[in-house]
Amino acid sequence: MKKLHKISSLVIVTLLLITTGCSMKTLPSAEVNYLSGKEGTITMRAIGIGSNQEDAIVDAEKNAFNVIFFRGLPESEQKIALIGTNETEEKEKNKDYFNKFYKDKRYKTFVMSSIPTSDLTKHKGGKKSIAIDVKINLVALRKDLEQNNIIRKFGF
Amino acid sequence: MKNKYLILAILLLQTSLINTAFCQNSATNSGGQVVSVQPKIMVIPYTKEGEDLRTVLENDENKRIAIAKIKEAFDSRGFTTVDFVAKLKAAKDNNVFTSDNQTDIKSQIIQMSGADVYVQAEVIVEKGQSGNSVKLILTAYEASTGNSLSNKVGESGKFYTEDFNKLASKAVESCVEDFLNIMQIKFTDIVNNGKSVIVDISFDAGSQYKMSSEIGSDGLPLSDQIEMWMEKNAFKNNYHIQGTTDLKMIFDDVKIPLKDQATGNNYNPNKFALELFKFFKGLGLQPGKDVKGSTIYITIK
Repeated sequence: MKKLHKISSLVIVTLLLITTGCSMKTLPSAEVNYLSGKEGTITMRAIGIGSNQEDAIVDAEKNAFNVIFFRGLPESEQKIALIGTNETEEKEKNKDYFNKFYKDKRYKTFVMSSIPTSDLTKHKGGKKSIAIDVKINLVALRKDLEQNNIIRKFGF
Repeated sequence: MKNKYLILAILLLQTSLINTAFCQNSATNSGGQVVSVQPKIMVIPYTKEGEDLRTVLENDENKRIAIAKIKEAFDSRGFTTVDFVAKLKAAKDNNVFTSDNQTDIKSQIIQMSGADVYVQAEVIVEKGQSGNSVKLILTAYEASTGNSLSNKVGESGKFYTEDFNKLASKAVESCVEDFLNIMQIKFTDIVNNGKSVIVDISFDAGSQYKMSSEIGSDGLPLSDQIEMWMEKNAFKNNYHIQGTTDLKMIFDDVKIPLKDQATGNNYNPNKFALELFKFFKGLGLQPGKDVKGSTIYITIK
């Protein structure tokens, strides 16, 4: 009887391990593309993932800001990263700023419009994705980064 | 005993006089706050050989619009540029122009304005059956060394319009932000790795010394003494020798910090020239120093 218990526990543990190992992993995605830009604004199409529409939109908006901050967007006027390409180091260096920016949703003050352009699409594992067109006030964002000493002002 | 007191009193008086002479005026005392000295930037039009720089702007409104738009972009980044037209007028009033050569006039304005960086804007108007367009070539140089800071080509795109002013504006808008972003990268590099100065060392006509003269306590040739000093004193050991002859030694790029690494105060070519001056004095030489913008001229007597 004890032997049976042992074998069944071993089988359960093995099955659990296999299930965890084979489960779909959500890789961080930054599908952000430049749409247009004029007079200090930039409009991008971004894809976000979340458990519901609201979460997916927030994720898409954050993706858009992350690309502007740490990657730069080819074809736009912000081809080079606004802050720098080493995002881990930059986020660690300016923890307070980024906590307020993302967790307290301060980034919303720089979003001029955020319009969903697709329906919520369901994926394996219960995740849902959405595409949005997000317009960002780039001039105000740059000024804010300068005032908080995240980036240097123009000049020396 | 009385003499001792007298000497002490004189010494105290001297110390207080020296302190009064060198201490900061209370009216200008900022309490140790140091603001970085910003580079002076001037936007100028491109001129072809033989073109008169003085009339080129007055005759071409597209160039004026392009320059105004570029300056506007600098302003939006909170940066004030040196006004080229105002400098041109001042130059005319002061009869600065001494030569008929237009290129010389350009260099004279750049030199007179004291600009550290100048941005050159070339406006090309293209007319065609499939529409008209304006192309813009923007280049930024460090005035002293000629180092390129940023280069961009902007295009308005083709439109069926004769409104070239609008096309010039569009051409500037298409590239100016990117142009400024690249410039800022170079500025940050200067903040981190120092700014360039040129050091020109030569001898007075009647000097008994040459670059090969063995000098100093270790009796090494003067050129080697100079290089050893430069090795120690150039910011982050970054310097480049253009060439050495027996009569001249030119360092075409010596990096100096923007801030005094000990005090945190602003540092400039004049202060570096003083260090060089002291070095030559220490070798028992009689140097003369002259600083023009970012070029240091040392003449050994």
